[in-house]
Amino acid sequence: MLHRRIYQFLVVYFLGLVFLFLVKHLLHLSDYVVPSFRELWQTGHSVFARYLLAVLDTLAVAIVGHILSIFMATVVGIIGRLTTWLGSFIRVAAYNIQAYPIVAVAPIIFILLGDGLSSRLLITAMICYFPLLLSFLGILSEPVVPIEHFYVATKRTSWRLEVKIRAFESIGKLTTVIVGSATLAMVGTIVAEFIAADAGIGYSIRIALYQSDLAKILVALFLIGICTSLYLALLEWMGRLVQKKWEIPSGG
Amino acid sequence: MNELNSVMLLECKGLTFRYPRRHSHVFKDLTCQISGPGFHALFGPSGVGKTTLAKIIASEITGFPGTAMTHDMGPILYSYNLERLPGWCSTGDHLAEVTPEVNQGKIHDLVRFFGLQECLNSRFAQLSLGQQNRINLTRYLLQDFNLLIMDESLANVDEATREQIILKIKDMFPTKSFLYISHNVMEVSKFCEEILVLRSPYKSPQAVCVIGQDYREGRSLKKRDLELTMLEVVHAT
Repeated sequence: MLHRRIYQFLVVYFLGLVFLFLVKHLLHLSDYVVPSFRELWQTGHSVFARYLLAVLDTLAVAIVGHILSIFMATVVGIIGRLTTWLGSFIRVAAYNIQAYPIVAVAPIIFILLGDGLSSRLLITAMICYFPLLLSFLGILSEPVVPIEHFYVATKRTSWRLEVKIRAFESIGKLTTVIVGSATLAMVGTIVAEFIAADAGIGYSIRIALYQSDLAKILVALFLIGICTSLYLALLEWMGRLVQKKWEIPSGG
Repeated sequence: MNELNSVMLLECKGLTFRYPRRHSHVFKDLTCQISGPGFHALFGPSGVGKTTLAKIIASEITGFPGTAMTHDMGPILYSYNLERLPGWCSTGDHLAEVTPEVNQGKIHDLVRFFGLQECLNSRFAQLSLGQQNRINLTRYLLQDFNLLIMDESLANVDEATREQIILKIKDMFPTKSFLYISHNVMEVSKFCEEILVLRSPYKSPQAVCVIGQDYREGRSLKKRDLELTMLEVVHAT
């Protein structure tokens, strides 16, 4: 799983590089616009350690934000599954709010909270929270009648049991959604750092952009890709562990 | 009349029901009654409203003109053949978990008579359809109930095992009431005490009650009588 993800990323990254060098060659662009391979290599050597720390900083914020959004989506999903007016209100509100681009709200968050960890964390959580919430709401509000009927008929049903049954029946979907939203968490953190922050790889990219240093940006992209692949592979591995523990082999 | 009322199991009067956004009625002024306790049947062609009536009796469907009275008979359970057990534990663990303390002693007997000993360590999804039906029915029989509606609960079980199970149920629960929904005319005629035959809402009356052979272990059954009951059921349909 891990080697496949890394391998796929390397193929895409180097294809992108080849395309960039082809454009440079065809349009006779200078090294100032698109750096030479040697310059790219030298920049990589000089900024690797600093950028690696910055990417790890970003990844840490992304992971915390991701966990936070999973927690929030679970809580709101559990309340939103209710058939009362509260559940209905939460579902409608979630569908409406998610349609609004969170990135557009990000400057307000920075104005109110400043350039710090809290702003990065909040934007990260908000960006990956809504897709998670919609999936969680869909899964948790859909009754699994063939299983739940017995508990309802014998008056044994409870909200915990309901959530357990519905989550268990959709464990594959839940794992896929959580892995998918991890990419969004990483994107959210970088966007937050890019807009206004004083740490992380998004902040480093912003500085490189001001310096028009494409080599640094390409090195940053390389490290982002590797670290994101590692995180996704870790989540997929954890998802497989959970599914294996609850595996339902078919028979007959 | 008073004596009849004291043993009345189910009584429907002027029951009219139509599913939302459907033009045709399922029941139009349905009036029927079944006396209990005992092993009774609900019989009729597909789509005539057997499951709907069962859900009305179990109060899973409410809000309709007319009455469906069960004469304060206590807990009514409705089971059907498509039900599943949760997949996170073995069927044995599930049975132990959902069986009330007072009925724990019956688990072993029922499991043995229903031929489920080898299934207890398996997950529900690992069982055959027939085993799934039997384990689902077992957990309902272990509950506190006065009327158990069995909606094709043994649909995937072979005929010989089905016969054994029905006889065992009648033997083990003589004071309880059962409403068995099946399409097998021979089976309902042979084992049931009263057979409520449901007909199309355009026929009057919409339900006809036929007296079955109520066969049980140790009781003789005349082939001729069974054939007459079967003819009566088919004719009523």
